[in-house]
Amino acid sequence: MEKKYWQSLENYKKMKKNTASDNEIVPEFSIDGLDESEIKGKSSRRDFLKMMGFSVSAVALVSSCQMPVRKAIPLLNRPQELTPGVPNYYASTFYDGDEYCSILVKTRESRPIKIEGNELSPVSQRGTTARVQASVLNLYDDARLKNPLKGGDNSDWKTVDKEIKEKLEAFKTDGKKVILMTSTIISPSTRKLIAEFTDLYPNIKWIQVDTLPMSGMRKANETNFGKAVIPSYHFENAEVTVAFNADFLGTWLMPVTFSKQYAKGRKLKDGQTKMSRHYQFETSLSLSGANADYRYQIKPSEEAAILLKLYNEIAKKTGNAIVAGPAVATKVKTVAKDLLNAKGKSLIVSGTNDLQIQLLVNAINNLLGNYGRTIDLNTTVNLKQGNESDMMNAIKSLRSGKSGGVIFYNVNPAYDCAHKNKFVKAIKNLPLKISFATTMDETAALCDYVCPDNNYLESWDDAEPVSGMYSFTQPTIQRIFDTRQFQNSLLTWMGNDETYSDYLENNWKTTYYPQQSQFSSFDKFWFKCKQDGVYNTEQNSADPPPFNPVPLKASKPGIKGLELALYEKISMGTGRYSNNPWLQEMPDPITTATWDNYVTISPSFANKHGLKQEDVVTINKKIELPVLIQPGQTEGTIGIAIGYGRSNAGKVGDGVGKNVYTLLNTKDDSKKLLGTTVTLEKTSKTYSLALTQTHHVMEGRPIVRETVLGKFIKNPASGNEKHEEFIENANFSLYPTPKFDAFQWGLSIDLNSCTGCSNCVISCQAENNVAVVGKEQVKRGRIMHWMRLDRYYSEMEDDPEVLYMPVMCQQCDDAPCENVCPVAATTHSDEGLNQMAYNRCIGTRYCMNNCPYKVRRFNWYEFANNNSFDYNMNSELGKLVLNPDVTVRQRGVVEKCTFCVQRIQEKKLEAKSENRELRDGEILTACQQSCPTDAIQFGNLMDKESEVSKSNETERKYHLLESLHTLPTTSYLTKVRNKNA
Amino acid sequence: MNITKTHVKPLFKNSGYISGLFFLLTLLFSTPSFGQTADDANNFAQCKACHTIGGGKLVGPDLKGITERRDEAWLIKFIQNSQALVASGDETAVKVFNENYKIPMPSHKLSDDQVKGILKYIAAGGKLPTGAEPAKTTAKKSEVSTTQQISEAERFITEKRESSHKLAIFAIISGILVVIILIDLIFTHILKAKWIHYILLLSSLWIIGEWSWDVSTDFGRQQNYQPDQPIWFSHKVHAGQNQIDCEYCHFTAETSMHAGIPPASVCMNCHSQVKEGKRTGKKEIDKIYAALKNNKPIEWVKVDNLPDFVYFNHEQHVKVGKLECTECHGDVEQMDQIAQVNTLSMGWCLDCHRTHKVQFTENNFYGAYKKLHEDLKAGKIDQVNVKMIGGEDCAKCHY
Repeated sequence: MEKKYWQSLENYKKMKKNTASDNEIVPEFSIDGLDESEIKGKSSRRDFLKMMGFSVSAVALVSSCQMPVRKAIPLLNRPQELTPGVPNYYASTFYDGDEYCSILVKTRESRPIKIEGNELSPVSQRGTTARVQASVLNLYDDARLKNPLKGGDNSDWKTVDKEIKEKLEAFKTDGKKVILMTSTIISPSTRKLIAEFTDLYPNIKWIQVDTLPMSGMRKANETNFGKAVIPSYHFENAEVTVAFNADFLGTWLMPVTFSKQYAKGRKLKDGQTKMSRHYQFETSLSLSGANADYRYQIKPSEEAAILLKLYNEIAKKTGNAIVAGPAVATKVKTVAKDLLNAKGKSLIVSGTNDLQIQLLVNAINNLLGNYGRTIDLNTTVNLKQGNESDMMNAIKSLRSGKSGGVIFYNVNPAYDCAHKNKFVKAIKNLPLKISFATTMDETAALCDYVCPDNNYLESWDDAEPVSGMYSFTQPTIQRIFDTRQFQNSLLTWMGNDETYSDYLENNWKTTYYPQQSQFSSFDKFWFKCKQDGVYNTEQNSADPPPFNPVPLKASKPGIKGLELALYEKISMGTGRYSNNPWLQEMPDPITTATWDNYVTISPSFANKHGLKQEDVVTINKKIELPVLIQPGQTEGTIGIAIGYGRSNAGKVGDGVGKNVYTLLNTKDDSKKLLGTTVTLEKTSKTYSLALTQTHHVMEGRPIVRETVLGKFIKNPASGNEKHEEFIENANFSLYPTPKFDAFQWGLSIDLNSCTGCSNCVISCQAENNVAVVGKEQVKRGRIMHWMRLDRYYSEMEDDPEVLYMPVMCQQCDDAPCENVCPVAATTHSDEGLNQMAYNRCIGTRYCMNNCPYKVRRFNWYEFANNNSFDYNMNSELGKLVLNPDVTVRQRGVVEKCTFCVQRIQEKKLEAKSENRELRDGEILTACQQSCPTDAIQFGNLMDKESEVSKSNETERKYHLLESLHTLPTTSYLTKVRNKNA
Repeated sequence: MNITKTHVKPLFKNSGYISGLFFLLTLLFSTPSFGQTADDANNFAQCKACHTIGGGKLVGPDLKGITERRDEAWLIKFIQNSQALVASGDETAVKVFNENYKIPMPSHKLSDDQVKGILKYIAAGGKLPTGAEPAKTTAKKSEVSTTQQISEAERFITEKRESSHKLAIFAIISGILVVIILIDLIFTHILKAKWIHYILLLSSLWIIGEWSWDVSTDFGRQQNYQPDQPIWFSHKVHAGQNQIDCEYCHFTAETSMHAGIPPASVCMNCHSQVKEGKRTGKKEIDKIYAALKNNKPIEWVKVDNLPDFVYFNHEQHVKVGKLECTECHGDVEQMDQIAQVNTLSMGWCLDCHRTHKVQFTENNFYGAYKKLHEDLKAGKIDQVNVKMIGGEDCAKCHY
């Protein structure tokens, strides 16, 4: 039987009742909230006369106006590397305390406008995440502090430095303790500097704090291997991956690295038929769960018991002792069998920060002989060094009255600490509180001195995310405000005149340069480091340390109570980027919601408790949140995203969603997302959510095509039978077939690689000046994103399979939009592009109505310079992020994906200038460039040797809604799940 | 900004100037010439920006009698790459460099023979032997007469502007006339012959119509726009009389979308020495020094404007398309005050895109157009226009 796909629960219910869903007309634009006159569209004769009078006078007025005088102001002295109109790229590093990525920063006229992935980095391998892409906008955030503050008032560095130094000296002589609280620091030079700082002021104690620590894993590895480390994983070597509540493709540890590896093990390129298998055990549906071949719903309290059951199953087969444990219903026999078949080529990970669970995971990995193969304990990951017990001790010591002060760098405990109130009380009466926050965040607001740090795009630094793999941060713009890098502040307070850039250089000169033999002079070495952005040393290939077994145990699964699973959203993370409108408006790939957090409940839970979507419930009688019915949520559990409910983020992020950090599980001085039980009560209120789910519905046609590996091996065209049918029966048209000479641009998207991470959505937004429209407009279906990720569910309501499909303009050869435009604003180019001339468009929206893919967007308002849309395009500072090569669209015109025509033109010109032919792979569209799974290929279809032509040759290729004979040049490759047929 | 640096820095950026010249040379020198030819005069054009023959010192020394003062081999070395010679510690070179305020002479991609030719030309006092006509350069450079006060181009602009003024006045008069005619026709009946009314009415309306057409097509365009600039800078003096190559100042025209307004430091290449102008004295040149001293950039008024929704790239047109600057910007060499000569309307752009020949066989990039190459070979077409490779596509300029 053919699988049925659905997008929303209403959709699904109708489908079940056999009412044809295509009878239902889903309005593309809602009329909610419009005036009566607007809905009826009535205008009287008087209105007409008024309008005419106005237009005539307006025209008269405008025509009498002079053209504006435009200035051309050259630099007095042009720096050698700066050519106006030509972009410069600088290799740099993104690290925000949680996430690491090696990047290239594109600058135009000395201002960073776009982040790209750095292909030289072995860690991030040209991939980025949506948050990395959006980070460039933080540089131009209006909420940034513009100078140092003292007691909340503007001050200057001289005063602040003098007073802080005096106080620190006084504490030193009194022996009063000061706590330096930072996020995990992966910069070796900064660590050295902090060590020197604390040597000079021995009363200062440095602690590292993570919002979501991984101390459980570090402790488990210390117990088993004598090393408190996070190992590096190799998902690409794993034939079977089993993940427990670890969203390694979305948010866990190093999603970019893991996505790259994961995709490598699952590519079906060049006739390859091998694919890794992925099992996911999880509570809330995550991105990894959505991509898994088999997904199991578990309660947080069952995790340990299931792991123990899995251990016993494997131990039985390998002749090891069985450990008695609590009973649990989840069946793990098949998982165990698969794992045993892939001994040494499998990988178990758990994202739960719990010692017991991590010990179980280690024990299973050890039984399977994965250490040294898929898990490398010698090459360690330096992220997440924080420990919750340090934080608890710090609070204790701050409360004791023995402490003199506290210094915060890149942490915001007043917002994200689980014991927020305790913490705030503890620091309230301290004589010295200093923050290095870049904005007036919740913690900085409590501080006496705020010494604003630079944005990372204005800073110097180095990083060692993984042992032996270094990377560098270099400034790509002159400091915008009177801010100072954290490290420079420390140097100043140490009485050191050196700048941090010199300190960094000296450190590399004395520490790392002598260790290498490749470069003959330090200048060459340092230049190369800065140019590449990365520097790698030989990897340690020693055998893994011996495994030291400890007795295993698993606590009993909870029976009573509603279990809570907090989770990190891909867009919002831990809440650092609340004031970033791009991320706030990015649809969550799981729920497709924007601008809010909510309680996800399973459909059967909703039925049982009579809850509807958008009903407001109270959690623990305190926190009010709306309900979102999420298929795939484990029965008896609910999920809520952290990272919302900021009060001091800035005008965009303040008051968006609710803060749920107080619901973190803090038993045993650790910090866990899972494991709290809560109460949930229905209220009579409702709260509307801005989902992008119910519009852009594709009405149940064969859109996403999939198959399973067994069938695929037998017949590579399996799942794609409709394509064959189309070629045989429907591939004809009354229109002449378009012909091209040199170029026909095409895009190929491998649905088997796409994980739905939405990096491309933000990359496209940054590249193409896509406007942010705000929650109200999203609700009306007016989101402006040029590309979207369609998410489809298949099969069961409570346990669906999830499919993702990135959809942008398909650049049809027989484009339905082109022949309905009354003013020829959208036409076909000689290179197969479906062009859109904004200055010609009069906004009839016929093209939108006629586009079967619904990829065209209408500018209902002027989104730039409009106080109603107070986002980056309404701020002088925020506008600096705009790409000068792309027009900012005005009100009343239709816009859409152009295949990044500015990039096509740029590379073509480069080839012409160099008097050579264009190379395949030279043009990278914004969505393709930093895709962490290389799911997108772009190139010339006229060149039969190009990558895109080759992937179009495979039998997995099909076009979206091809039966319409629109002849798109964007093609898709069927998704293959590694399931038993 | 650091003023002391200005002497050194911009000289590295002359590559546009030099490569443009090099291109010119490769076109001209089909056979190497040993005797003194017209090519030498052309080659000397690049020297003229800084040197005279018997006209006194400019940026560099007067070259009169240079062949007697210095050894020829040394001169060749110095002209080809003066800085290398200075760096090598050559005594004479260091002396010359110091004597001339340490302004380095840019290196020149000239062959030994070419330099010898130039030296002969200098020795002859900057005159060509009879019979050697000045070679026509690819750049259509009209004869410049220093005595002529108003040049052809300027007169053309003034005339155009005046004629549109005239038309406006006619239109106003016509308007008044229409009112008078109507009053007479309906109320006063002074003129008995009604056909006079009708003829006058029709012709007045014609004039008003033409004026309206003129105004409305001109809406949003700035043809003949000739704003006052913060510095009275004359292209006629610089590009015309001194024959400074366009890309000496607008040095990014071949590498960027913007041709670039030169930084003040580029002005200083010459104006560190040339401190007084013939017509404006010290007044205007002092403004450059003031700008550098006060660290305040010069706010030039942009003359050739395109709307924001148009993407235009100089590199594409100048380097790849091998267009002359004058084809769009008019005879800049004849203008004291720059004006926009062409309409810069979309129709004007397309006119050229429809007819202009592409460097189709010369540039390897176009090798991808297999069918057009076949047609060209088969003689089906005799040239490839921009239009044939998508020059009329919207997305060439609008995105």
